[in-house]
Formats: sequence, structure tokens, C-alpha cells
Amino acid sequence: MDKFKVTFYPDNKTVRVEKDRTILSAAISAGVYINSSCGGDGVCGRCKVVVRKGQVESQATGAVTLEEKKKNIHLACSTIIHSDLEVEIPESSRLNFDKLTPEELEERLSGLYSKAEDIQPVKTKLEAGVFKHSPFATKLYLELPKPTLNDSVSDLERLYRALRQLQEFPVVQTGLFNIRQLGELLRDSEWSVTLTLGKRNDTVEIVLVEPGDTTHNNFGLAFDIGTTTISGQLVDLNSKKILGTKAAYNQQAAFGSDVITRIVYAGNSDGLEKLHNAVCDTMNQIIRELISEHHIDLNDLNCIVCSGNTTMIHLLLSVDPAHIRKEPYVPTANFLPVVRAAEAGININPRGLLYCVPGVSSYVGGDTTSGILSSGIYQKEQPCILIDIGTNGEIVLGNKDFLVACAASAGPAFEGSGVTSGMRASSGAIQKVSINKKDFGVTYSTIQDKKPRGICGSGYIDLLSSMLEAGIIDKGGKINAEGSRIRSTDTGKEFVVCFKDETDIGADIVINEADIENLKRSKGALYSATAILARHLDIELSHIYKIFIAGGFGTYLDIEKAIKIGLLPDLERSKFMFIGNSALAGARQILLSNQAMAMADKLASTITYFELSVDPKYMDEYSQALFFPHTDLIRFPTVRF
Amino acid sequence: METQLVLEKWPGIISTVTIGAKKEEGGTRADIAKIGGQNTLPLLFKEGSIPNKPVIALEMWDVFPSDWPEELSNAYGKVLNDPFAWADKCVNEYKAQTLCLRMQGTHPDSGDKGALEAARFVSTLLKKVKVPLVIMGSGDDAKDNLILPACSEAAKGERCLIGCAVQDNYKTLVASVLADGHSIIAESPIDINIAKQLNILISDMGLNLERIVINPTIGALGYGLEYAYSIMERARLAALSGDKTLASPFICFAGQEAWRAKEAKATPEQGIIWEIITATSLIQSGADLLVMRHPAAAEKTAKYIGTLFTNR
Repeated sequence: MDKFKVTFYPDNKTVRVEKDRTILSAAISAGVYINSSCGGDGVCGRCKVVVRKGQVESQATGAVTLEEKKKNIHLACSTIIHSDLEVEIPESSRLNFDKLTPEELEERLSGLYSKAEDIQPVKTKLEAGVFKHSPFATKLYLELPKPTLNDSVSDLERLYRALRQLQEFPVVQTGLFNIRQLGELLRDSEWSVTLTLGKRNDTVEIVLVEPGDTTHNNFGLAFDIGTTTISGQLVDLNSKKILGTKAAYNQQAAFGSDVITRIVYAGNSDGLEKLHNAVCDTMNQIIRELISEHHIDLNDLNCIVCSGNTTMIHLLLSVDPAHIRKEPYVPTANFLPVVRAAEAGININPRGLLYCVPGVSSYVGGDTTSGILSSGIYQKEQPCILIDIGTNGEIVLGNKDFLVACAASAGPAFEGSGVTSGMRASSGAIQKVSINKKDFGVTYSTIQDKKPRGICGSGYIDLLSSMLEAGIIDKGGKINAEGSRIRSTDTGKEFVVCFKDETDIGADIVINEADIENLKRSKGALYSATAILARHLDIELSHIYKIFIAGGFGTYLDIEKAIKIGLLPDLERSKFMFIGNSALAGARQILLSNQAMAMADKLASTITYFELSVDPKYMDEYSQALFFPHTDLIRFPTVRF
Repeated sequence: METQLVLEKWPGIISTVTIGAKKEEGGTRADIAKIGGQNTLPLLFKEGSIPNKPVIALEMWDVFPSDWPEELSNAYGKVLNDPFAWADKCVNEYKAQTLCLRMQGTHPDSGDKGALEAARFVSTLLKKVKVPLVIMGSGDDAKDNLILPACSEAAKGERCLIGCAVQDNYKTLVASVLADGHSIIAESPIDINIAKQLNILISDMGLNLERIVINPTIGALGYGLEYAYSIMERARLAALSGDKTLASPFICFAGQEAWRAKEAKATPEQGIIWEIITATSLIQSGADLLVMRHPAAAEKTAKYIGTLFTNR
């Protein structure tokens, strides 16, 4: 069979591919990341590449203009390779979320495109001592009596006996792996060993037997696996202390930016495997960085708890998510048994356990269960709302008697993805903005007061609200003013937030009309979902007792401004509480307490799922919300521009 | 025993938009047209006040209407080659109360007339006819942004109705209309939310809501008429319930849509009927200003309006 050599620039990576492959698939094989929001369907037009040399055959598409065709620009996803090729990937088609610094470029060349970054979690008043400390994995130091002729029970029975003398366990089990080593290990360690006990479904398992006393080295990981962002937290299971938190963009983004395109991609040959590897790679990278920074041995990581939406959990465990997408939208499993992390491809102690927080339905996953757990709305007397602002936003309304959840596909804009100067809430991200009404001068502050590198979700909320107030954009989101910071480009107008010389990236930080449109759709999806859910339950929004706002916004979110742009309903400001990444907080609670784990299982089986798309008013509500703050101004009585 | 009707009272009222200005108001029109002002649903005379009848404007172009079907253009004959004669015929022979001028000749594909020429044309037309005027661009956004401000300035003080402003292109037109004392047509694609958003955006620029007329975009009989009908009805219900941002009269391009239907071209009579049915149906759903093409259809529709309003 013919094989062609394809070289990608500027990466200068070469790969040999078989006939009839597309440029996009060659790029994936070469480890070169190209934007592909639609997952290779040829409709999003984001994977434009320049064919410098060689023969190709492109399918007709409206996404490439005549002008571009003359410049040999093709869509990587719908262009078949017919000879050896030299392909240039323009900056706009590269899957990068931040403009690259030299270190990041190096990182990319080693096959990773986005380094995990430290995240400062939000300090909230929640969750203080709700659950008893009983971590997912505990360590026990035992000094066993040596066997004698009078006391000749077997090694394993001896271990169980010592264990039961300390604590009554219902069922104890251990794997063949441990039993095979046990005889030697007990004698070598002179009968002093540390057991790692893990809760595995309804039994207790001896996960590991180690010589000597290692009880002080017991660590676990909490993860929030988002469609766009993956966050991981290293926790000392003895002291409950959080040692570090890191986040990275989910590398699955190379295969599509939303869950639907990823599910479709999973249906391709090797698709599921590639998606599975991408999420594992991202998680393993975060784990590696966390342990090396805190000088912890991989073998002392004994357990991991993952919150994620249903699709993400399926992909993590390499379970085919195909049916999530098809009517009647049934996942393979909502409740997953505790498995060994190694089985899922996660690198911790090879015997370490993995628990996935149970989900509710195909589109309301374990991240929501975690959020409900950590926000505590399931204990409240009065109805409360939890709004989780993410690519797959979730809204939960309820109290101690009932909980109803729905999913709103909001897109990744508030996570800083799919917007020109967007970035995660990490060092150098602009998170507060104000604009002078007279000369449009911009005052901003960044996370850790570093030179700005981009804008994160909370920065975008501030920015939109300030632009509306200053009259730079109209209520429809179109740039409506003239000035030195406002420029016209091929794709519409843009507003310069920071000029090149102020930034850390050697380029201007801007927001353009397409970004505003993206953000408008995101906020519209979240607001309309909240409004419909409340109406469906016949509860006036004004009767809601508390609204918990969750999302990866770093340490700051201006409620006032979020209301001004119409992301949050216009209610008394004291009702709102910003709780940060609630899915991660819930995963940590579960990691630290078996009670929390039991509660998560209980919650997931009691939450009612409400399908927004069956509501006949959904489209109308959504299009009304595509305005700042809202088409129906009466709903936002305190908002004035 | 006589049946007692249940009467509904609405808190809202549709704003009254005046087209044309007489001498004492700074214009040169012999007559003016008023639309809107009702505080009830169409034709429910007992429930509220409907001070103004629906108005018909005959459509005319600044160039020969090459895409009009023969069944339609034969009604006018040779005057179609001379816009001023065409206008004259509409007013004097067909007794049009209002004219709707479409500046099609400014479109890049059909004449590409410049702003100066367009302005001159409007000035001359205003001198030759004394009825209120609706002025429409050619629909090419970039070109309309050049010629409509010039036309607006040429018609300053005449209180014309100028359009169309759309969501992605309204600022230039609003600024001109504001400066020259006209009213504006706000066009939305059969979408009540966009209609409302556009009205808010326009009024945010300082143009009073009382100077906006909504073009809800309609379909002809058999081509989505009922869809437009229900959107208009919904907007009207919202307006009468108190939503000021939707309380504008409707302009409906009944002639333009009816003559696009292939059935309209089957026989000369059928086209006229198609236009009449489209127009009269729209009156039921709340149309205040009907832009029509065939003089016979306009005449019949006017007669129908007369009957409806005498038997009130």
C-alpha cells in the first residue's frame, strides 16, 4: 500500500500515512494539534491549513473562500492526501489556548500542548466538618504476634484477626497479588506491616501490605474532569490538608470542543481509545506535576475520586458513550463500581482505587452530584439553586425534600476557550476590569498580579459589563463606538483590552464581536435553563432562598456584573454565594469521608432529571436571553446602562 | 335575552406614527397618514379604540422593475420606464394616499446609483407628488448606509418613514432619521424577540419608540402567511399587555411577497386575488401599513377596509 510522507510546519514534524487519509488525521498521528471544533465534519472551518507542496483533494466547502483557495488554504478535515505533503498550520488553526511562551512551545513539542497550571481554589464557608473523617483509603500499622505451634493460624488469617481486634469490618477481602507476597513480606518485616484499606463497594479491601510503618504517607487525589478543563487536587488523607491544585485543558479538545462531537468521534475506529488516552494523559500529567512538586512517591497515592459529566466518565473508563447521544439518551452506567485506577490507565499506586462520583443521567453527571454535595443544598429547608458554569452547565433546583437538575450546553467561553484572548483562571489572567467612560481607558487586575496573558471567565464577565456601561457595545453585543482601542478587522470589530507592550505574550489582548457572540450564547443558555427550570417547578425566582454559583473562575466573580450581563437572575445580591469549583470540592469530600461517598450515592439516585429540550418554550426563552441583559427588560429591574 | 359580550381591556396602547408633514409642520405634504394608536386587537371595535384605519401605500421604484412579472407590470404599462410618471399615475389615477419608494436603482447589481443621484431623485419626487412617502433602500446593507442618509437629508422635514434597519445594521440609519426628523422601519426575520431587541437598540440611540414601525417580515398566502400571522399576533398581545418595546405599528410588504408566489403568475386575475387575500389576512393580524403592488388589488383592499370600518 502507498504511504505518503506529510510534514507539518512550523512544528517540523513528519509522519508517514496511508493513502486516503485526511490531513487532520495525519496531524493527529503526528501529535500536531489542529483546531477541530466540529470533530472533522467540515462545517466549523477552524482547521484551515496551507498546503505548501504536494497533491491533495478537497471536498467542496463553504468555509473556504475563493481568495483562500488561491492561497492553497484547505480544511484539514476534508482534504485527502494524494502525495507527499508539506503543510503549514497557521496560528489561527492551532489548538492553543494561550499564546505560546518558549517553555510552552517546548512542552508542545514533547507532545503536550498545555501545561498544567496552579489554581488557587476559592475559599468558601461551606463544608466545614460536615462529614466524619474516614478517607477512601486508610492506613493501619499492625504489629502481629509471630506464629507459634500454639498459634498457628495462617498468615492471612493472622492479618485479618489483628485487623478485627482493632475495628469490626463487615467483609474483608484481599487480592491474590497481596497473598502471593504475604508470607515473605511478613517475615522480612518482622511482623510489623502497614495495611492500606480501601472501601470497595460494600466491602473493605486490603489494597496493599507494606513493611514497617508508612501510615504518615497516605495521599489521595480529587479530580474534576470537565469537557474543557481538568482540575486535580492533591490531598493528605491523614491531615485532610490540600497540598496543591492544578488544572489543564482537556486534551480531548483536539477531537471536538463539546461532548457530542467527542461521542461521534468515539465511534470512529480507534476513536474511543484516542479519547481515553487523551484524558488519561492530561490527568497523569497533572498527577506527575503535583507529586514532583510536593516530593511525594507515586506509590503513596492510594486512591482517587473523579467527578465528571457522564460522557467524560465513560471516556475515562473507556466505556463506549455512543448511546448518550441517541434517543432516549441512555448512558451505559451512572453508578460505577470502585475499580483499580491502573485499570483506567491512571498512574497512582498500581493497587490504588478509583471511585467515580455517580451521575444522574446522560447529561447530568457526577460533577453535579458532587456540586450538590459540596454546596449542601440537599440539606436546606428552602428551595435553593446551584448553577455550575461550565461547558456543560448544570442547574439544580431543590432543597432537602427534592432536587431537580437540568443541563445547559453553554460552551467553553467562560472557561476561556473558543474566545480569542481567553485563558484559564491561572497566573496572569485578567480577572477584574473597569473601563473609563470618557476615553475607554482600561484598568484591570490579574491573578497573582502578573503581566497579563489573557482573559479568564470572571474577567470576561467584568469586561462585557464594563463595555456595556461605557457604551462600547450595544445590548445586542455589537461594538458601537469609535476610539483608539477599537479596530476593524476582516471578521468584524475588536476592542483592545491591553496593548502588546503591557502584556506578557508579545501580542495585544483583545475581545472581538465573535467572542462577544460566544459569551452571549453561553450566558443565554445558562440563564434560560435557570428560568425554565424554575418555571417548570412553578417556583418564582424571587422565592429562591440562596443561589450557589460554581465554576472554574479562580478566586473572584463579581455577582453584580454577572447580573448586569444577564448571566444570573436579578435578585437580591445577598442571596448569591460564589463557591468556585464545586465538583472538585465534592470529590475531595468523598475522598475524605465514607459518609460523603454514601451520601453521593444516595443523592445521585434521588435527583430528578429534567430534559430542557422537551420544554416547548425552550427556544423562545433562549433567544430572549440572547441580549444584554435580556430581551424582557422587566426581568432585570435593577440593571441600567 | 340578549347575550352579554365579555369585553377585554388592555393596559397597553400601540403608538401612533405619523407619516408626512404639512406646511405648518415644516413639510410640503398635502396630506398626512397616521397609523397605530389602537388599544385593542384588530377590528374589536367594542373592546377599545381603533382611531386609525390600516393605510395602503402603493409601491414604486426609481428604476424599471425588471423582476416584476408581466401580469403585474402590464397593469402600469409604459410609465414603469419613467418613475415620475409612475408616481403620478399612482397618485392621480389610482388615488394612492401614500407612496412607498424603493431605491432599487442604487443596488450594486441594478444600476448602482450614487448617494447624490439618489438624493436628487427623492427631492424631485417630493416636489412632483404631495402624498406622504415611505423610502426604502435596495436591501444591500453597505450601499443603503451610503444612500439612505443622503435621501433622508434630501427629505428633511417631510417626516418620511425610512427603512429598513436590521439588527446588524441600524446605527447609520437611526442617526440620519434622528437628525432629519423622520421615522424608521425596524425589520426582523419573523422573530418576535429580534423585533423587540431591535426596538430596544434603536430607542437606546435616542430615537423615540413612537417613531418606530415594525416590519415583522411576512410570507404570502401559502408561503408562511400563518407563521407571520401568529408572530404579529403574539407581538400585539405582548404590546397590549403593556410591553412598550413592542408597541409599534406594523408595516407589511404584502405586494412584494404575494407576487413572488408562483400561483400569482398563473393568470392575471389570480395574482390580484393572491395579493388581496394576503393583504386582508394581514389586516386581521394587525397590519397598520400595507405596501401593495397591483392597483386593482390595492383598490379592492381599500374597499374592504372601508367596509370593515363603516360597519363598526
